Amino acid sequence: MELGKKQTATQSQKLMIFVLTMALYGLATLFTELIPSYQIGVVEFSVEYFLFIPLTLAMLFDPMAAALGAATGELVFSEIMLGQFGGLGELEKFLTVTIGVFVAGRMVKNPKNCRMVGIAAMTGTGLQLLMGTIVDILKVQLAVEDFEAVAGLPQSVFATEGFAFLNDLLFSGILFCLLPTLYLVPKLYGKIEPLLGMRPRDEKTGLGGISLRVVIGAAIAFAAAAGAELLATGGMPLIEWEAEWAESGTALAAGMVVAALAAVIVLAVLRGKAGKGMAEKA
Amino acid sequence: MTEKIKAKLAENILDKLSIDFLRGQVLKNAYGNDDTVIAGLDPRVLLLWYVVIGFLPWFTGSLWFLAACFLLVLATTMLARVAGLVLLLFGVGVFTQTGYLLIVSMFFGGNGSTVMPLLILTLKVATCSLASITVFSGLDPDRLSNGLMWYGCPERLSFSISYAYRMLPMLLEEFQNILLSYRMRGNPPAHDTLTGKVRYLIYQVKIIMLSFYPLMLNTAKRSRTTVEALEIKGYRYAAVNKEVKKMKLASLKVTYNDMLFLAVSFLWIALSLLASTVF
Repeated sequence: MELGKKQTATQSQKLMIFVLTMALYGLATLFTELIPSYQIGVVEFSVEYFLFIPLTLAMLFDPMAAALGAATGELVFSEIMLGQFGGLGELEKFLTVTIGVFVAGRMVKNPKNCRMVGIAAMTGTGLQLLMGTIVDILKVQLAVEDFEAVAGLPQSVFATEGFAFLNDLLFSGILFCLLPTLYLVPKLYGKIEPLLGMRPRDEKTGLGGISLRVVIGAAIAFAAAAGAELLATGGMPLIEWEAEWAESGTALAAGMVVAALAAVIVLAVLRGKAGKGMAEKA
Repeated sequence: MTEKIKAKLAENILDKLSIDFLRGQVLKNAYGNDDTVIAGLDPRVLLLWYVVIGFLPWFTGSLWFLAACFLLVLATTMLARVAGLVLLLFGVGVFTQTGYLLIVSMFFGGNGSTVMPLLILTLKVATCSLASITVFSGLDPDRLSNGLMWYGCPERLSFSISYAYRMLPMLLEEFQNILLSYRMRGNPPAHDTLTGKVRYLIYQVKIIMLSFYPLMLNTAKRSRTTVEALEIKGYRYAAVNKEVKKMKLASLKVTYNDMLFLAVSFLWIALSLLASTVF
């Protein structure tokens, strides 16, 4: 069996895994937008986290295809389809989900080993949440000018973000990531692989654990994610820009208005003419 | 206090999650408004417009300018006739992002001065979100994916968008069928008392989780069929072939309408810039 030699089988099988994860995780993230959350006391209790789906699939199949599929699914189904797309900032979510799922998938050599599956599920979830938290704190610090000067804002940001992280990890993480993954991985193992024409993963066909390369790759990806998010929020170059305006601002703006007005008029006339030409032809 | 919790728990998950409603909204959003002004524009022009409008607010702290930008995207959103569900999600999203922060900073001894920076932040976030709603909900998915492809986005992404819009109704239906079958065979706990309600909630969440087991197996079969069908048509070679891409994108055309749309937006921005420098 040639397929048995490597877990990362053929390109088309990778595409199958990609499509599978994308469809399932996309569907799940669509629900999370709509299911209400329950606030009991200070503890927020929400079904927010369907990460168990890509985690399960990444442990059973090729982790990279599953991770990319999950991130794309979230992007397409819940961001683009529902019009929640946040531009460059979405790159952060995309990369953190990819890293979290990929690392968790690489950690599991034998899906029958329940303890490892549990540890990997929590690691993946924790990693993704932690990266999100760090980026969020940085984002608010840079988006609001004079961050330190606003009364009560710094503490409140650290408090809310820190609390949200712990809350998500302990409640959503355990209830909606750990337990379902522990239930699904052994149950699907050996059943779902033949449907895609693959051999189940075992110790021989596993990809090998976390190597230095994976860690470095993840670190670079996280740096890119943070950079993208901060670029999207963009704090630094703007201040200089504003200063430029202030000097010759009014004249420049007036010139722009005139130019824009001219463009609108010319285009409107051209369009009218084109319309008439069409009508005459017809 | 217990009354309140009871009332909250009474709105249970499965009733709120009317899948037919969700499916209708998503389909309406995707294919329901082909005849709007926004949907008629060239996707490349709209994407360019989105990038500019999405970036502009972050370059300034002027309240006048931000408010003007916000009004512009509000107008385009109305022109695009976006589905109600999407707008509701937008409202909730904006509030939870910044309103929550405001309340907590009050708690830590913030005062009136906290409101201004947060208002500016809210305006910036809201402008970006509405611009994206205009572009991504206003365009139909095929035009959108063509536009993205023209800008050199990976073919995988365009494929995912087209695939997602076509498969979603089917996936939702299948998920609903599985949920209903669990409901039919299951024996839900009595939910008159508070503890019963909590138990009912846990039961519902458990069912949703359990339904993913059959759903995963079914989707695995389906995705294999999809990929095999794609392979027969030579998808993986076509995806990287320049000729194919050219043929696919031949339908895109910039018209006077597109230029006019850009020019009017530019005029509005320039006017608001003028206003922000004068005041």
